[in-house]
Amino acid sequence: MASIGIERVTKRFGGVTAVRDLSLEIADREFVTLLGPSGCGKTTLLRLIAGFMAPDEGVIRVGSAALSTPTGIVPPERRGMGMMFQNYAVWPHKTVYQNVAFGLEVRKVGRAETRARVARVLELVNLAGLERRYPSQLSGGQQQRVALARSLVVEPGILLLDEPLSNLDAKLRERMRWELKELQRRTGITFVYVTHDQSEAMALSDRIAVMHEGAIMQVGAPRAVYARPVNKVVADFMGLVNLISARVVRTGDEDGLVAIGGEHRVSAAVPPGAIAGEMVQLAIRPENLRLVPTASGDGSGSVPGEVAEVTFLGNLIDCHVTLGDGTRVRVQLDPGQTPEVGQRVAIRFDGRQSSVFS
Amino acid sequence: MSTPLQPFPAAPRLFRAEHVVMAAATLALIVLVLLPLAFLVAGSVTADEGLTLTHFRDALSSRLYVQALRNSLILGAATAVLSVAVGLPLAWAVSRTNVPAKRFIHLTAIVSYLTPPFLTAIAFVNLFSPRAGLVNGFVRDVLGMPALTFDVFSMAGLILVTVPHTFPFVYLLAASALESVDASMEESAQILGAGRWRTALAVTGPLVAPAVLSGALVAFVNAIALFGSQAIVGLPGRVFTLPTRIYALFDYPPQYGLASALSLIFVALTVAALYLQRRYLARRSYVTLGGKGSRPQLVDLGGARWGVLGFCAVVFVVAVAAPYLTLLAVSVSRSWGLHFWENLTLQHYRFVLLEYDVTRRAIANSLILASATATLAVLIGSFVGWLDLRTALRGRKLLDYASLVPLGLPGIVVAVALIQFWLRVPLPIYGTLLIILLAYTGRFIPLGVRSANAAFRQIDPTLEETARVTGAGWLRTFRSVTLPLARPGLFAGWLLVFVPALQELSASVLLFSSGSITLAVAVYNLYETGALGPVAALAIVTMLIITAAIALATRLGRGAAAARAERAGVAQ
Repeated sequence: MASIGIERVTKRFGGVTAVRDLSLEIADREFVTLLGPSGCGKTTLLRLIAGFMAPDEGVIRVGSAALSTPTGIVPPERRGMGMMFQNYAVWPHKTVYQNVAFGLEVRKVGRAETRARVARVLELVNLAGLERRYPSQLSGGQQQRVALARSLVVEPGILLLDEPLSNLDAKLRERMRWELKELQRRTGITFVYVTHDQSEAMALSDRIAVMHEGAIMQVGAPRAVYARPVNKVVADFMGLVNLISARVVRTGDEDGLVAIGGEHRVSAAVPPGAIAGEMVQLAIRPENLRLVPTASGDGSGSVPGEVAEVTFLGNLIDCHVTLGDGTRVRVQLDPGQTPEVGQRVAIRFDGRQSSVFS
Repeated sequence: MSTPLQPFPAAPRLFRAEHVVMAAATLALIVLVLLPLAFLVAGSVTADEGLTLTHFRDALSSRLYVQALRNSLILGAATAVLSVAVGLPLAWAVSRTNVPAKRFIHLTAIVSYLTPPFLTAIAFVNLFSPRAGLVNGFVRDVLGMPALTFDVFSMAGLILVTVPHTFPFVYLLAASALESVDASMEESAQILGAGRWRTALAVTGPLVAPAVLSGALVAFVNAIALFGSQAIVGLPGRVFTLPTRIYALFDYPPQYGLASALSLIFVALTVAALYLQRRYLARRSYVTLGGKGSRPQLVDLGGARWGVLGFCAVVFVVAVAAPYLTLLAVSVSRSWGLHFWENLTLQHYRFVLLEYDVTRRAIANSLILASATATLAVLIGSFVGWLDLRTALRGRKLLDYASLVPLGLPGIVVAVALIQFWLRVPLPIYGTLLIILLAYTGRFIPLGVRSANAAFRQIDPTLEETARVTGAGWLRTFRSVTLPLARPGLFAGWLLVFVPALQELSASVLLFSSGSITLAVAVYNLYETGALGPVAALAIVTMLIITAAIALATRLGRGAAAARAERAGVAQ
């Protein structure tokens, strides 16, 4: 069973707490992404799982075995995991074949079987025929595949990936993303993936754990985290979001109301803790807003404003609207619409797609 | 009404600045390096009756010279192996473990590198000469165990006094290689199941091997070229080497032809080692891919770290403490022996600094020579570096290569070549400071070229182009943009030449006259007369001058490093 249990783990470096009392359960065969900006502790957490460092507090289990505790850790070489590094770490003095075969040699696998397994895994990552090349004769994408093949050939139960795609160009990144996902499905390996790229996280993961300052802010399926961020940090990190000052009119999950852009009331899920009159922030993504003619402003969810800026981006139109009180709101429209700068419009807010944060 | 800006009038160009620089640099290299080398070659194959191979035949058949060649090879090989044995563990300890007192270990390597090798040799003679050596005396007379005495006048002694000067090459190269191996290279092996030893053997070892081997070859080349220690320790023990044999050929009547042939054999040996080093480095040097580039975690040695520190302490005692304390003690003793402290005196210092005009002249000469050499080497280096990096002139690469030729020339060979050349030119510079200056400049041009190249490489060419676009001429641009930006690097290069030039012995010993005597030669001559006290005093004075120069260098270097850090901070 290649499930991972992280229980109340803390890791400090000098005075800095890199991981703070963090708990996370990762199921067997799951693809979990640790997402966050640089310095949020995601790489430290990955290295704790790998066993490169011991936690100051807490326990890390794989299956039922406690591998890392503050008093002792099973060293990385006895964990049977695989790991891919951001810089691939393909050994420059070994050929492609020697790189990939290394893990099998360490495990004392016989020659014939080694050859067969290396051939199979190179086939899998589309590197067949390049066995005798040295890394300096390979492209970045090929080196990355060598690193992948090297981790896969030993058939690890868990594969740890530290920003493995960040050094590739955009096109290759997209393709490798798809291939990684496909590979995970086929092999059934548990993937723990670290990235700061939210679109990568969403494309790949079964679940995303958004990290901030050494703690997990939210864990969930990509859709849930995107649509229902639990706080401003998550909302902001998971793509574009408008954060609009609002005043609570009425609390309630279904029938909550807030006032924005002056005294225009829009429905929103207002958490029960809030008090009427309190200032809060309404978070809504630009693609969840719609422009409607001013005439239809009926007081139930549209707010009037003036178009300040229009940018054509090909697949969509990016439009900035200034509300009555000067608030700027970003709206993304499909390219069929043609708002013009200076035009009076109204924005329709859908209460089901916004979140309210204090 | 504004008049449109007139373009600057095009001055008629008789010649272009870069051509002048090219001509100057080419001329300098021809006079300093290529012509003497050509005369050396010519001298080795000519005799009174014309072209001949007699000299080479003599050199390769006479037992005298074959023995010297063999000894040089033994010395070089043993020194290289021991340099790895000492330098590699120290490098590993400093860059990869939690050994205490890393700064102390690093400084040990640096100080032993900077100590003039002939001073180490003289110090060890005072400790281990068969009769008067202090340690030998103690072992024989106090402990009563004459079997345990050590005769420094032997191959073993020669190796002992040479290694302190050569192990830092291995140490420095290996340490920087160990530090540049990205942690993920080793961690990848670890996560695949390889333990610490397996990882070291399969990954770290092969990655740093080129640097270690390179250091060993540099140690070899340097070890066999050190005239001072080979003369001081080798000659009394009848351990003859190539430099000492070549030196002996200048006793009356001088045998220039044979000396030239022997010199060329010596050059072949040096060049072969350097060629191996380059080829191996070119084929097997690995540039680690960019990315996060994390530093490896330090190995926790536990209690063993005190053992490792103990090893470092032994190196410190042998390479630094013993030589310096010995020289200091000898320099203030009226008579050297087991009870030396009962008769302390400053008379040796008074003698070398105030009374003996030869040493006073030597100090002045060496200061002048070292300053002039450093200035010339950096100037020529700037020319060559600038041509290489900033112009597209044909032949600039050739110039760059030519400037590296002296790397393959041991000091004594440079002297032989200059003698061959200047004795045949009707300019009476033999026996003057000028010929020593030419020898030094020729020897140290590679250092000047490298420093200047590094200094110019750091300056973005657009900074100069901006000045040109604004209307500044070439000279103006060089003066007000290039030079100020390159100054810290060029000054570092200046000191890099100044320090070895101040202690140069191998070439000076064949070129000096009583008027142009240098510090190192004065030390050597005093030593030959047996005046151990004054020798030690002069040695200490030499070290004080060098220390002052280094202190200045570190202060300026720290300033430059701080400025770099500041720029990097702005860039982030």
